[in-house]
Amino acid sequence: MTKCPACLVGFAKGDYPALAQHFVDRAGESDSAHVRWLNQNLTRRKSEAKDLVPPLETFFALRQPSLTPWVKARFIAKFFGKAPHPFVTALQHPSRATLLGYVIEHQHFLRQWVRSCAYIMARTDRAEVVEYELDNLTTEYAGFGPDRPSHYELLLRMGESLGVDRSVVLATPPLPATRSAIEQWNEMATREHWVAVLTAMHSLELIANRNLVDDGASVHYFDPSILTGNEITPEAQGFLREGYEADVGHSDRALALADRFSKELDLVEEVQSVFLRSIDLFDDYLTARLERGGQFEA
Amino acid sequence: MKRNFEGCAICNSTWGNLWAGVDGERLFFCCTICEVQYRGLVERIKKETGWSHLDSLDIAGDRRGRSCEVSSEGQRARFVFAFNSEGHLLRFQPAPG
Repeated sequence: MTKCPACLVGFAKGDYPALAQHFVDRAGESDSAHVRWLNQNLTRRKSEAKDLVPPLETFFALRQPSLTPWVKARFIAKFFGKAPHPFVTALQHPSRATLLGYVIEHQHFLRQWVRSCAYIMARTDRAEVVEYELDNLTTEYAGFGPDRPSHYELLLRMGESLGVDRSVVLATPPLPATRSAIEQWNEMATREHWVAVLTAMHSLELIANRNLVDDGASVHYFDPSILTGNEITPEAQGFLREGYEADVGHSDRALALADRFSKELDLVEEVQSVFLRSIDLFDDYLTARLERGGQFEA
Repeated sequence: MKRNFEGCAICNSTWGNLWAGVDGERLFFCCTICEVQYRGLVERIKKETGWSHLDSLDIAGDRRGRSCEVSSEGQRARFVFAFNSEGHLLRFQPAPG
């Protein structure tokens, strides 16, 4: 099945003419999600549906047998291109405000993360996927005992090292963009195929994948030099280092599973669209971290 | 007001079909988010400059960050700005230099 990357409505497999007509119709209604997708990914010039078909086919073409290079290329183009996402730019040498924006919005993200991964586990029939998710959730949320706290715990410690108690972090509701993204990720997890959800969620861990520069990313998620010295607190170093070390394996393992099962179950096209929807949500969510950080600026 | 865009008043896209009145002008926007952005931008420029109206507005850049050059009654000013996902100003400041 082909899906619209803006709203996830489905079409017959390979039916790009129908998808193009859908985009033209929805854009004609000034629907912001569809107009945004067209503006950012294909063209700002209004076109007839027939003229959108070739660029859509090109956009979704894998070019290589594996799904992974396509996912990485799209992710890099969105977040690590010539003009990286503004949050990535701010995180190169982050201010206290940037890190606190990260803490407050990200604790909401991680709580949704658990739900999304739980849906994948509940709906898959593949033991290796369950094992992968259990390992991921333990790293991200549960931890391996006092010596290896979870990413969630390290996040809260980073906030405390910057002067904001965890009780304040936990009591602060998400900004509207974070709330909206979380709601849509939750809906995605309940409605979409588990292979698509696996790809949509774990591809987001590419953000901290330090090997992405080898695939063309213009910068790392943050300048690795901040992991040493005293530019940021030791707790902030602890939190960022955890992602820096874990997310190469997390994202690469998940993408290998996504590649294998999307082909085996003939789901490549819908996996692509659900992934694209997820990175649009992630784009807005990263901007919300900056917006929250602005509340801590002097 | 003179603008450098022929399409959507904020991003120059020609998708969409939204027309709205702003400061007595009927303007084209590709979507509701861009309309919110435009209204907020013009309001903020007026607040920052103290001008009652704008004679021209030239916008450059993209969603990652934009700049604008504005004029009113022979005076000119430049700003850099960015929006959040709801279309509200996330950043707005005089352009450096």
